[in-house]
Amino acid sequence: MKPWTCLALACALLGSTNAKSASGDRVLVLVPKVESAKHYSKFLGSLETRGFEVSIRAASNTSVALQIDGERAFDHAVLLAPAAKKFGDGLGPLDFTRFVDDGGNMVVAASSELSDFHRKLAAQFGVVFEPRSTWAIDHANYMKQNNASDHKVVAASNFAPAPAILSPGFAGTLAKNQQKPAVYFKGIAHKYDVANPQLVPLLTGAITTYSGKDKGEKPIENANAPLNGKSLGLVSVFQTRSNARVAFAGSTAMFSDALLSKRGGDNQRFVEDVAKWTMQEKSVLRETGHRHHLSETGEQPSHYRVSNEIVYEIDLSVYRDDAWHPYVADDVQFEAIMLDPYIRTTLNRTDSTLSASETATYHGDIKLPDRYGTFTFRVNYKRTGYSNVDVKDTVAIWPLRHDGYPRFLSAAYPYYTGSFVMVIGFLALCAVWLFSDEPENTEKAAAAASKEKSKAKNKAKNKSS
Amino acid sequence: MASQKQTQTQTDTQAVALRSLARRYTAQTPRRLRVIDAYMAFCVAVGVVQFVYCAAAGSFPYNAFLAGFGSAVACFVFAANLRMKTDPQNRQQFPGSSAEGAFGEFVFCHVVLHFVVANFLG
Repeated sequence: MKPWTCLALACALLGSTNAKSASGDRVLVLVPKVESAKHYSKFLGSLETRGFEVSIRAASNTSVALQIDGERAFDHAVLLAPAAKKFGDGLGPLDFTRFVDDGGNMVVAASSELSDFHRKLAAQFGVVFEPRSTWAIDHANYMKQNNASDHKVVAASNFAPAPAILSPGFAGTLAKNQQKPAVYFKGIAHKYDVANPQLVPLLTGAITTYSGKDKGEKPIENANAPLNGKSLGLVSVFQTRSNARVAFAGSTAMFSDALLSKRGGDNQRFVEDVAKWTMQEKSVLRETGHRHHLSETGEQPSHYRVSNEIVYEIDLSVYRDDAWHPYVADDVQFEAIMLDPYIRTTLNRTDSTLSASETATYHGDIKLPDRYGTFTFRVNYKRTGYSNVDVKDTVAIWPLRHDGYPRFLSAAYPYYTGSFVMVIGFLALCAVWLFSDEPENTEKAAAAASKEKSKAKNKAKNKSS
Repeated sequence: MASQKQTQTQTDTQAVALRSLARRYTAQTPRRLRVIDAYMAFCVAVGVVQFVYCAAAGSFPYNAFLAGFGSAVACFVFAANLRMKTDPQNRQQFPGSSAEGAFGEFVFCHVVLHFVVANFLG
C-alpha cells in the first residue's frame, strides 16, 4: 500500500473513533501523583470509553504544558489535584484562564486542602471557596449506608433546574414513588456570584447544609451563621461568552470510585452529566445559516425600504450523542435594533421537509419599522446551559423614493375635493367677472356710494350744529 | 322691567342697523364686489369644512390637509386683494393700478397657487 492510502485509512479510523465532544478529544487529567489516578479509574475509564484521548499527568510533572507553540495542546483539562500549589513548569491560574479563553474546557475539583492556586483560579469565575479545612456538613442529609455516620458526606439533592446540563432525572418534577436523587458530596463548599448569569449553581446545599469545621455531631457554637442553604454552592458551572465551559466541584471524592459506585447515590449519573456538559458533549448550540429577504420577491436586496415585509430565517442545531440534531425551542427571538430594539419578535419553527435534517429552521414574517437608518438584525439566544448564539447582520433601511409613497388615499378625499372645488370656484369667479358686469355700473355705483357718503356727512354736520 | 325694556330697544336697534346695513350693501356695493364677497365666504366655508374634518379624522395625510386647507386660505387672501384693488372707494390708494391689472395679477397668482397645491396634494 502506498503511504497516502495508509494515511487516509488512518484518518478514517480516527474519525470513526472520534470523541463525542463537539470541540475536541484531548483531555489532560492532572492528579497529585500518577498512581492516585487509580482512585478515579471509573470516571477516567468512562471518558476513555466515550472516545477521549486521556493523558494523565502528575501535578508536579514539569513537562506539562497547556500550550505548544501558541496552540492549545489539550481541548479539556480535569484538575483533580486540589492541594497542588502550581502545575507543570510554573503554570499559574492565569495560564489556565488563558486556556479557557482559547476555548479549552475545564473541570476543577476541590477539597478541604485547597491551595491558593485553586482559590485564585476559581475567583476568576465568581466562585469563592470556603477557608481551608472546612467542610460542607449536613446532620440531616448524609450518607446512611453501611452504618456510616460521617456527616461530612452530604447527600445533596438541591439541583438547579437546568435541563440543558442535567439529565431528566435531576431537573424537573419527579414521578410518583420515585426516589429523590441524591449526590454524595464530601468536600468544601463555595460561595457563588448570584449576579453572574454565566455561572450556574448546579448543586447547592439543602437548608440543613452548612459550611464549617468538622466537630462530629456537636452543634455549632458560633452564633455567626455560616454559609448554608441555597447560598452554599457545592458544584457550579460556568460558560464563557466564547462558549468555553468550566465546572467547579468542591469535592474530588465525588469523582472517586468509592462514591461513584455507592448504592443509593446518583454520583455516576451526575458526574457524567457534568463531564459531558463541560466537555461539550451535549447542549452545544450552533447556527448553521441565516437569511433574510423580501417576502414578495424572495430576493435579498442591498437595502430595504421602510415598512418592507421581510422574511428572516435562521438554522439552529444542537450537538448531543455524537451528532448534530435540530434544535427545538419556542423562544428564539429576532430583534431589529437601531440603538433600541424596534422589533423583538419570536420566530416560529418551520416544519422540516427532510426528516433526517440536522438543523431546525426558524422563520419570522417581519414588517420593518417605519423608520430609516442602519439597523442590526440580531438573534441573541442565550439560555442556561446552552452555548450562546449571537448572530448579527447590519442592514440599511432606506426611506421611500419620492414617488414611492402611497397615493389617492381615501382619508385624503375631502382635501382633494377641497382643492378641486377651489379651482372650480376660481374659474366661476373669473367667468362672472369677465362676462357679467359692465365697468360703467361700477362707476355709477361708486358715484352713488360717494354721494351717499357725503349725504351722511352732511347729516352728521347738521345734527352736530 | 327697565332692563328688559332696555334690551328690547337694544335688539330693536340692532335689527334696524342690520337691516339698513343689508339694504345699503345691496344698494351700494358694486356687483363685482358682491361676487367677490360671496366667493370669499365660499373660501371660508371650504376651509372650515376641511379643518373640521382634519380635527375629527386625524391629520394622517398631513400634506394633503395642508394643500387643501392652504388652497382655501390662499384663495381667500387673493380674493381680498382683488377686492381691495377693485373697490372704487380705494381708487386713490392704488393710483397706478387698474381693475384689469388687478384681475390679471389675481389670475396669475391663482395659476401658480393651484400648481403648487396639486403638487403638494400627494
